[in-house]
Amino acid sequence: MELVDRYLYAVRSGLPKGQQDDIIAELGEDIRSEIEDLETGLGRPVNEAEVVEILKQRGHPAKVAGRYLPQQYLIGPALYPIYRLVLKIVVLWALVPVFVFVVGPIAIATVVHPTRALIKTLWDLAMSSVFTIGVVTVVFAIMERYPVDAKPFEKWDPRKLPRVPKTPPDSRRTPRATAIAELAASLVISSLFVAWFRTTFDFADVRITLTPIWRSLYWPFLLVLLSGIPKGWVSLMWPERTRLRFSIRLAINAVTLVLVAVLLNAGSWVDITAPGLPAAGIAEAVKWTNFGVKISLIIFAVFAVIDGIPDARRIFRKKPSWNYSIAT
Amino acid sequence: MNSELFENLRLELRRGCLILAVLAELRTEHYGYALRKALADRGMAIDENTLYPLLRRLESQGLLASQWREEDKRNKRFYRLSSDGEIILKQLLDEWNAINSSVTRIIEGEPIAEELSI
Repeated sequence: MELVDRYLYAVRSGLPKGQQDDIIAELGEDIRSEIEDLETGLGRPVNEAEVVEILKQRGHPAKVAGRYLPQQYLIGPALYPIYRLVLKIVVLWALVPVFVFVVGPIAIATVVHPTRALIKTLWDLAMSSVFTIGVVTVVFAIMERYPVDAKPFEKWDPRKLPRVPKTPPDSRRTPRATAIAELAASLVISSLFVAWFRTTFDFADVRITLTPIWRSLYWPFLLVLLSGIPKGWVSLMWPERTRLRFSIRLAINAVTLVLVAVLLNAGSWVDITAPGLPAAGIAEAVKWTNFGVKISLIIFAVFAVIDGIPDARRIFRKKPSWNYSIAT
Repeated sequence: MNSELFENLRLELRRGCLILAVLAELRTEHYGYALRKALADRGMAIDENTLYPLLRRLESQGLLASQWREEDKRNKRFYRLSSDGEIILKQLLDEWNAINSSVTRIIEGEPIAEELSI
């Protein structure tokens, strides 16, 4: 019976405190009864292999002990879908784009060793993701253990629900606040572009120079940025003219795609000069910086296409019918 | 995929039935192993890792009462239905019978009462 005692001892360590003696006594009794039953059937005492088989059938001690624990999961089925959605939003829609489009390019463009900067950016992204996932998980685990007050969901009155609007709510309309923000952002970004556009950047002993293609595309880029002003104006003044707004946006995306294609065709976008550094190192830095710019431009183009497809569909689709009456 | 799906659905279906079976069987006093054997003999096999935590839960809910007692020179924990458990069991059995006959009617495609009156 030494094996049984060892098994019970292992189970005991995983049991809730205060119930260990009771559960182990009952479990031990159950195992002994099963062994006795088997011995009666066989007409002889069980051997070690048979005891091993009985214990293995009952499962790993940690698994057995786990069945007595009050809660089997960190985040239950009710909260899990929301947990997944929050993780998706935070990591895929916020962290990754910020690192890919902001942190990464800045880090790569402002250091001498772009490869190291790229690796560091990826490492920082991984660490930030792990930390964020950890925080979100802890928050949801707390919500699981201390559920929020469900009274507002129980005490409700159908008569207090908002009335159905008489005219169809056009989901394609831009809210007034968004239109104003769009207009303001376009003005600010265009102003910054005009004020700060330059083709050389000096960092200590390193000079980063943009190739001539950027200078030649200055005016087209400025026009694309300024086109946000008429788009925002249309959204603000004529929110019902959704087709016009989508057409402007589609045109902006098309022009952006053409500009990106011209840029990609140039093949080289950045040059680096650093008198104090070895030529081989500088060449490597130029190579990787240009590679980073190329990838960014491709991603930018992909996003312009992804952004443009729904606009094209919206321009040509019929307005949704509006009928919420249960009488029809 | 299909066998896994079936197994999940089977476990879901069995979960509620097991509680009913355990409560019904404990109208007569049993200790754990004897209860397991009695249920298995009646075609409702239940593994010990499910039964003992379930017995504890039902006892903490006041549906079962238990006591340690010596039998055949060994200490065993005997369970029986409590008075609250008897009331709940009766209610659950009524519910079970209602569900059973409804499902039977649905499976057999018996016409509903309104259709009969038409």
